[in-house]
Amino acid sequence: MLDIGRSSVTHMLEDLIKNYLVTNKQVDPAKFDLPSLQVADLGLDSLDMVEMLFEIEDQCGFQLPDPMRYMQMSFADMVANIESAIREHFNGELPELAFAKAEA
Amino acid sequence: MNKVLITGLGAISPLGADSRSTFAGALSGRSAICAAPAEIGKWLPQVLVAPAAAEPEPLLDRKYAGIDRATQFALVATREAMSAAGIAAAPEDSRRFGVFAGIGFGGAHSIDALYSRFYQTLLDPALAHKNPTIMHPLTVPRMMSNAAAALVSMGYGLHGPSNTYSVACASSAVAIGEAFRAIRHGYLDAAIVLGTEAMLTPGTMIAWNALRVMAKPDPLDPASSCRPFSRSRTGFVLGEGAAALVLESEARASRRQAKVVAELSAYGCSSDAEHLTAPSVAEQVNAMQQALDMAGLSPAQVQYLNAHGTATDAGDVVETQSIRKVFGDAADRLMVSSTKSMHGHLIGASGILEFMISLMALQSGSVPPTAYLDDPDPRCDLDFVPRVARHACPIDAVMSNSFAFGGSNVSLLARRYAA
Repeated sequence: MLDIGRSSVTHMLEDLIKNYLVTNKQVDPAKFDLPSLQVADLGLDSLDMVEMLFEIEDQCGFQLPDPMRYMQMSFADMVANIESAIREHFNGELPELAFAKAEA
Repeated sequence: MNKVLITGLGAISPLGADSRSTFAGALSGRSAICAAPAEIGKWLPQVLVAPAAAEPEPLLDRKYAGIDRATQFALVATREAMSAAGIAAAPEDSRRFGVFAGIGFGGAHSIDALYSRFYQTLLDPALAHKNPTIMHPLTVPRMMSNAAAALVSMGYGLHGPSNTYSVACASSAVAIGEAFRAIRHGYLDAAIVLGTEAMLTPGTMIAWNALRVMAKPDPLDPASSCRPFSRSRTGFVLGEGAAALVLESEARASRRQAKVVAELSAYGCSSDAEHLTAPSVAEQVNAMQQALDMAGLSPAQVQYLNAHGTATDAGDVVETQSIRKVFGDAADRLMVSSTKSMHGHLIGASGILEFMISLMALQSGSVPPTAYLDDPDPRCDLDFVPRVARHACPIDAVMSNSFAFGGSNVSLLARRYAA
């Protein structure tokens, strides 16, 4: 297990999601400059949403519940929510995730 | 009833990454058969395969990365056929344009990968923190048998029916026949027909090996291991790839002055209703006779027949008897070859690939051989065009047979088109 500070983890998760959406779902990278960006404004359908979550689930090894709830959140809240779900799953710690390793 | 014309061909096969190189490969008399890759060979060292001549994924747009390999082959072959026909995406008559697909074992790669990932995660101690049930959310849309038809219909904006036929070795021959009927009887004006198969995976090969129909490797030249109609035959070799055809009503094709490959003139089909794997003379005869009758041709008017020719004892002998029964005296003047000796058995894609090769023989007058046939089985006594291609043959009509496990028989017939 790695003990990485909250802000850097948030950053890594955010980058993982951003990169995925820009590369695979043709989301305009400029959208992420807006601090109030809403998930609903990313133009994702339900299939896109579960594909995006899989990028995280594949590395964490568990399924994030109720994917469509993220549609009501801001992008920042979604990232925070996913991070707390990961911490909760691993009893407050973070597993040695491939994306964490790559960036650490 | 509408005349049905073929206006585009496409393929990616063990013999080549497009239709032209596939046909050139078929005329060469050399096969693409080789030892199975290590992941299969370590369990089944005797097993041979006929892998596609090119990897499909790099040939496609990035958005098709990760989809099932069979769907990728289908998209490559379809693109060639549509472009050869001069048809772009979203045709004006898109509701009169259908997609007809044939595949034997849909999603074989995706299904194999699913089980493999599940058990690897379950059994690897280093992955103990992972739930083995975490799978890619598109696993189902990737493994469904109609994945190729769906993506072709979406990719080209075709709003007619997009149907998939799974009839083992006859799948894509049925798809051609059903598309032919839909245009002939006025339900559609055009169709893209595709056949695809990609199942050279450990799981699938283990299953095929258990059926005891696979060719044993020739110790001197493994490429020569599939020998239809030969006394020394030992069975067939599984291949992978896809082929595609564009069909159009004569009215549509002439309206846009399309270049015509040939007229698709008949589709005969029947079922043995007898045995899971053993073929039947009576019903093979029925399928071929239906095709001749529908085309209004006498046996002597057909010059080339691409046999199902799987290099199994039962299959080769029964097909020879069936051809003799249908063609009578004309059987001795008919050129018959099994190109499976070179591209292997593409199961769901075999019907359309072999029909496409037959069409190219009709166009060019060059007939592909039955490769490696130097010791014919005396019970198989037709002109099987042994070993070497024949050129400058006058050909006006060709037939292609596909006889499936499960007892489904299909004969397709095409003839030279004169406007």
